[in-house]
Amino acid sequence: MFSKVLIANRGEIALRILRACRTLGIGAVVAYSEADRESLAAQLADEAICIGPAPAKHSYLSAPAIISAAVVTGCDAIHPGYGFLSEDEGFAEVVRAHGLTFIGPSAEVLERFASKEATRRILAAQGLATIPGSGMLRDEAHALEEAARIGYPVLLKPSAGGGGKGMRLVRTPRELETTFKVSRSEAKAGFGNDSLYLEKYLEDNRHVEIQVAVDRFGNAIHMGDRDCSVQRRHQKLIEETPSPALSAVARKDLAEKALRAVTAAGYESLGTLEFLVDAKGDAYFIEINCRVQVEHPITELCTGIDMVALQIKIAAGEPLGLTQADVVSRGHAIEFRILAEDPAQDFRPQAGQVGAYLAPGGPGIRMDSHLYPGYEVPSYYDSLLGKLSVWAPDRPQAIARADAALRELLVEGVVTNIELHRAILANHLFVDGKVTTNLLDRVGSAPFVAAGNR
Amino acid sequence: MPASQEAPNPGPTDPERTLRIQQDHAAIARLADDLLPALIAKLAASGLGEIEVRQGGWKARLRRPATASEPRQAVAAESTAHARAVGHSRPDDRDRRGREPKEAEQGKVVAMSPAVGIYNPRRDLAVGMRVRSGDKIGSVDVLGVQQDVVSPVDGIIGSSLAEAGEAVEYGQELVRIEPPAQAASGQAAAVVSQADLDAVPVAGKA
Repeated sequence: MFSKVLIANRGEIALRILRACRTLGIGAVVAYSEADRESLAAQLADEAICIGPAPAKHSYLSAPAIISAAVVTGCDAIHPGYGFLSEDEGFAEVVRAHGLTFIGPSAEVLERFASKEATRRILAAQGLATIPGSGMLRDEAHALEEAARIGYPVLLKPSAGGGGKGMRLVRTPRELETTFKVSRSEAKAGFGNDSLYLEKYLEDNRHVEIQVAVDRFGNAIHMGDRDCSVQRRHQKLIEETPSPALSAVARKDLAEKALRAVTAAGYESLGTLEFLVDAKGDAYFIEINCRVQVEHPITELCTGIDMVALQIKIAAGEPLGLTQADVVSRGHAIEFRILAEDPAQDFRPQAGQVGAYLAPGGPGIRMDSHLYPGYEVPSYYDSLLGKLSVWAPDRPQAIARADAALRELLVEGVVTNIELHRAILANHLFVDGKVTTNLLDRVGSAPFVAAGNR
Repeated sequence: MPASQEAPNPGPTDPERTLRIQQDHAAIARLADDLLPALIAKLAASGLGEIEVRQGGWKARLRRPATASEPRQAVAAESTAHARAVGHSRPDDRDRRGREPKEAEQGKVVAMSPAVGIYNPRRDLAVGMRVRSGDKIGSVDVLGVQQDVVSPVDGIIGSSLAEAGEAVEYGQELVRIEPPAQAASGQAAAVVSQADLDAVPVAGKA
């Protein structure tokens, strides 16, 4: 096991990793930017070190600053958290070159799964269904030909993009003709790479993902699924497990298929396979996340497994110590991302000083947050203030507990989306487990906000 | 559709980054030459606590510390290589761990570490030595690459706040710089020096 881990991230995940290190009995150093000097993780850590100025490019995204901090504080491993450098194979390689361990997949594994297009080919070869699509498009004529073969509507996507950036929904050949050139020059300007490809657009889909863990000895487990269909502009807002979109048989089948495929493809570490599930219940693989996910707590609540500790153990070369039979998922859990965003003002991110702060409690309630009264929310980073996760023996009870907890949660000083969460909870589509990824964008958040103010 | 934008994306590729850094530096210089003097004058004249100006992809914010009586401006320019948010001091001037306020926060002038690494002072560095603004005082070894520690003002080398070979963090105070005119009005001299200190990182000379 490692003796000391450098935590190269911020916010709630820095705190989460610090807790895992303490549970494992290993030392931890929190690396922070100047804007995070007063952060909870930096204050709670036995050791904390400033690695650079507020802009992430010169701190949380600076490989030399992070590695130098690990070296001078005597760390033997670096935990990158999520976002930032967590899936950067170049960073993983440099970390290893300095004799340190990157807590995540090896540089080779990250490289193998770096391109979405290549990842889909690799996992399709291992038996996972993927969304019908084209290869890289040569020109407009090629695009039209491929779109006709796949069937409209289609998404025109830049190969180098991510998170929905730069992609366009195209419903007719005529639209494709007008869009193609624009998309190509935008991709060139935005990502420095003008490669485009087509993908069939699944309307009214659900986002379901499978959590896996694979050690270097080939031991592999899945920890069930999560449904992340409540999204706004491709940003997840609410996640739950198990997914209401899958039957018990389909759930087991999807998890087992995903685990077999990703293990056969040589994956190692904690990871998540993301799928789109269409109205018929068919699941199409879309991408793999080679890191700990924001929404990991709901899986922890149902399985009782400390996933961050497990991730650290795998990176340290230890065996999983668990077989599939040991993984039992009980009850239902829901996570709410508490964001400093104002739903009434087009979700503009908010900065400011937190006044009063009170985390909710009660049976099955878990709050992962770096907030405290007087904390200044910096404007440099994402708007995640924390995650409220709720567990109950079944889904209706989880919803009831969640509503009570959201009422208790108090964050003063910054505008948050707490009321929007309550409004979504009260919506019949959510109660019936029928939310699709396009719901919030299609109907807009206004009806939810209005309903929340009743 | 994937929905995993959980944090800022990793930075652009290397040639792009180099280009962007060059553009950053040019923009910092423009800001320092044109915009900042005007803004500082405006802030001083207005009696406002804070001014923020946006121009293209840039944002400059000047803030007057809540309690400090000296006319000190904190300048934070986003996405710059050398600009830092100086003067993040709070009204209580003492952080939650109960640390003593930093030298710089008390209006004294210090040379700070430009990066996290191992600090080594210049071999001939001695108390009482006269230095000019921008003079190299030592270096910080960042994985074998030396980054200069420079004096932010004209002055005289005072006591060291870090040992040779010590691990230092970004922004750590390394060497005290005494004002050249050690007249009785030490307070006034320190105030002027502090203004210089704040201007240095923004001008990109560091």
